[in-house]
Amino acid sequence: MSNAENDNLLENKTITSLSTSLLENIKTIQNSLGNSNDIIIREFLVGKPLEIPIAIMYTDGLADNTSINDFVLESIISNFEVTSETTLQEIAIRLKAYCITVGSIKDIADFSSLLNAILSGETILLIDGLAIGISTSTKRVKDRAITEPVTEAVIRGPRESFTETLRTNTALIRRKIKSPNLWIKSRVIGEVTQTEIAVMYINGIANEKIVKEVLHRLDEINIDGILESGYIEQLIQDTKFTLFPTVYNSERPDVIAGELLEGKIAILVDGTPFVLIVPALFTSFLQSAEDYYQSAFVSSFIRLIRFIGISLALVAPSLYISLTTFHQEMLPTSLLISIYAQREGVPFPAFVEALIMEIAFEVLREAGLRMPRMIGSAISIVGTLIIGQAAVEAGIVSAAMVIIVALTAICSFLFPAYGLSNSIRILRFPLMGLAAMFGLFGLFVGIMLLIIHLCSLRSFGVPYMSPYAPLIPKDQKDALIVLPRGSLLTRPRLISQMNNVRGRKNR
Amino acid sequence: MKKTILMISLIFLISILSGCWSKRELNDLALVAALGIDFIDDEYAISVQVIDPSQISSKQSSSRQAPVVTYHAKGKTVFEAIRKILALSPRKLYFAHVQLVVLGEDLAVDGIRDSIDFLARDQEIRNDFTIIVSQQTTAKNILNVLTPIEKIPAKKMLNSLTITQDAWGSTSEVDVEDLVTKLGVGNQYFVLSAIEIQGDKSLGIDQTNVERIETPVKLKFTGLAIFKEDKLIGYMDEYDSKSFNYLNDNIKSTIEIIACPSDGVLTTEITQSKTTTKGLIKNGSPTINVNIDIVQNVAEVKCDINLTDLTTIDWINRQTELSIKKNIDESLHVLQEKYNADVLGFGEAIHRADPKKWKKIKEDWHTIYPNVEVNVKVNVNTHGSGTMQNSKLKE
Repeated sequence: MSNAENDNLLENKTITSLSTSLLENIKTIQNSLGNSNDIIIREFLVGKPLEIPIAIMYTDGLADNTSINDFVLESIISNFEVTSETTLQEIAIRLKAYCITVGSIKDIADFSSLLNAILSGETILLIDGLAIGISTSTKRVKDRAITEPVTEAVIRGPRESFTETLRTNTALIRRKIKSPNLWIKSRVIGEVTQTEIAVMYINGIANEKIVKEVLHRLDEINIDGILESGYIEQLIQDTKFTLFPTVYNSERPDVIAGELLEGKIAILVDGTPFVLIVPALFTSFLQSAEDYYQSAFVSSFIRLIRFIGISLALVAPSLYISLTTFHQEMLPTSLLISIYAQREGVPFPAFVEALIMEIAFEVLREAGLRMPRMIGSAISIVGTLIIGQAAVEAGIVSAAMVIIVALTAICSFLFPAYGLSNSIRILRFPLMGLAAMFGLFGLFVGIMLLIIHLCSLRSFGVPYMSPYAPLIPKDQKDALIVLPRGSLLTRPRLISQMNNVRGRKNR
Repeated sequence: MKKTILMISLIFLISILSGCWSKRELNDLALVAALGIDFIDDEYAISVQVIDPSQISSKQSSSRQAPVVTYHAKGKTVFEAIRKILALSPRKLYFAHVQLVVLGEDLAVDGIRDSIDFLARDQEIRNDFTIIVSQQTTAKNILNVLTPIEKIPAKKMLNSLTITQDAWGSTSEVDVEDLVTKLGVGNQYFVLSAIEIQGDKSLGIDQTNVERIETPVKLKFTGLAIFKEDKLIGYMDEYDSKSFNYLNDNIKSTIEIIACPSDGVLTTEITQSKTTTKGLIKNGSPTINVNIDIVQNVAEVKCDINLTDLTTIDWINRQTELSIKKNIDESLHVLQEKYNADVLGFGEAIHRADPKKWKKIKEDWHTIYPNVEVNVKVNVNTHGSGTMQNSKLKE
């Protein structure tokens, strides 16, 4: 169907409101849904003397059969009392006011909302003679159990993670933040999937301009379906032309609650446990929830190691290539002799060697992800140790190269946030190319370009590299090092810009 | 959009077209560990000691090949000779890791200025390598000796030099920067450490040299060589070199032997030594006052002496002072009278003390210098006697 015809049909549906004839309504609904056999339509008569035809319709599987039977059907069929003088309007009012014992009830007048309601698991009541449908909420909450987070494991801290149901996720956050200022704004995005999105923030702490901007960008989305929060992330981020993520995501409620307390905004998407956080800064990708649950000294040390790890993961192969190919005078003599001895008989130049090993490692890593659990660990041992060792003994690569690649690979798994580690892994290759062409000069030009790019990035208006650039001395307490909890008394300045004080002086 | 693609492709093409210029793969380089310069028949004869990487790595040490290889070539200038070596060497010579430069005796006698110019000027050669002189032999022979324990002979020589300087005191590490500074000022004297071959030099070239428990051919540092301007004028033996280093404040640790009151000798280990030199004009003639402060420990007792008595310690101090002073006076005699070489910078000391007077006597310094009065005052302090006090080994 062409877009124009599709739009026409949609238009027809929105314009069409319910008719007063029950049979006609039922026929329209069944036609729209293509007579799908999981839409159950049950007709019956109510009101003893008047015998009014009423139909309920719901989706089997999405609606909770028990509540339909107990609360809707039973209450209507047993308790509905009318007299011969009751008008149709009064019937509708009586049904809603005295009869139906379900928590939430709405009136529906047009077909599109009606179909939407049926397909969300609600039960629709249609009364013959009235052009109004009553929708009762009977959603079945069939949810995965709350288990340990898969991608963000910590040694110390809560072990619950979000699930695929939006309502459970909002509840998990509400459990952490019981303030009445935690507000939710909901949207429905995706023409075909009609996915529910919830935007949560703490009013009074979050920057209202950013909240407005988030809602504005969400409203501007025009797409047929939202299947995962990644779709939303790509549609609302500041700029497409960057490798670095400007939206943070997590599947842990405590992380999200912590970010909300700093003044950030959470975007929850129904159907995925990954909740988005905006605005996201570079430092958020280097932090893990555990940093705040452990001693400040230990956490500072670990953060420094992470930082050194990224730098190594990014530049180690490039440094090796440029030093051994262009700047041999910079290496200490004994190290040079060692590397020299290892490279005897290796047919490839250092750059090609590095490229082969890096690509081989990326292939192994990706393959290891897709393998079934049993084979996965065997491949990692086989791949790294044995193939690496065999390659060295066959004289294809030198041993130093294997060490560098292994070191780089391990360092790239240091990040608590997966999104950034991918960026770093990809960026390694252009830097290697620059180092191979121009030596250390090329490497430093590459790093400079990278830094310039990072400093020019913004996430919803907040500079990506704060608090490093612009340098905010007060926020350094939680950037590279972290101070004990009692000293973290102010919120990051550029995120919240108001209500900056968290607490008074503690011990 | 088109413009962006065009720009990106242009940048990409340009970076590829540069073709990685100035790239040198490690395997295309021959690492030179030591350089030897000789002057034979009016020609410069260069020897280079190149590291063989496959023999250096620890895994393949059982092979019969030597860990280093030497190449030699002759040319009218140093640089020409080096380029001529390329006809022999399998790879391009890489000088950035040269650790040692050996100057042949014949070159030293003729004048080292021109060869030093090349070493200082070339941008690939670093400026922190050591320079030594080969005594009674050519640099080529020095570089042709294999050494045990340290596979690379250049490293062995450098290590020997350093540890001798630190623990015995008869050598002095001089790098090319010092040399260039000294040679830049006219009428300068300086010293370089001298090395010689002990044993039949034709045997050192073979692996058999390192296969025996006592290597037949050894490289030994003998002392210091004295240079006037840029020519070699003589050598000092070990003990004179040691005293020279005392005067030059270059002693880190050394040994002194004194005779006990009864028979026997006592050895002390010097742990600290600080020398200050002051020049002054006394009664119209230049005088130098040298003050040496020394801290020592008693290290070896081969006589019957009571070390717990403080007077004994005082006696030891006095004896050591006398002994050191005597040695220094002997070496000063060598320097002043035998060679007439103002290596210690006495002229400069007088210049600092009294510039006006110095201006007057500057021209005649070489006649005045042999007669300059040098007052050496040594202060010795004994701090300990090891882990024993009196010797428990009685006769």
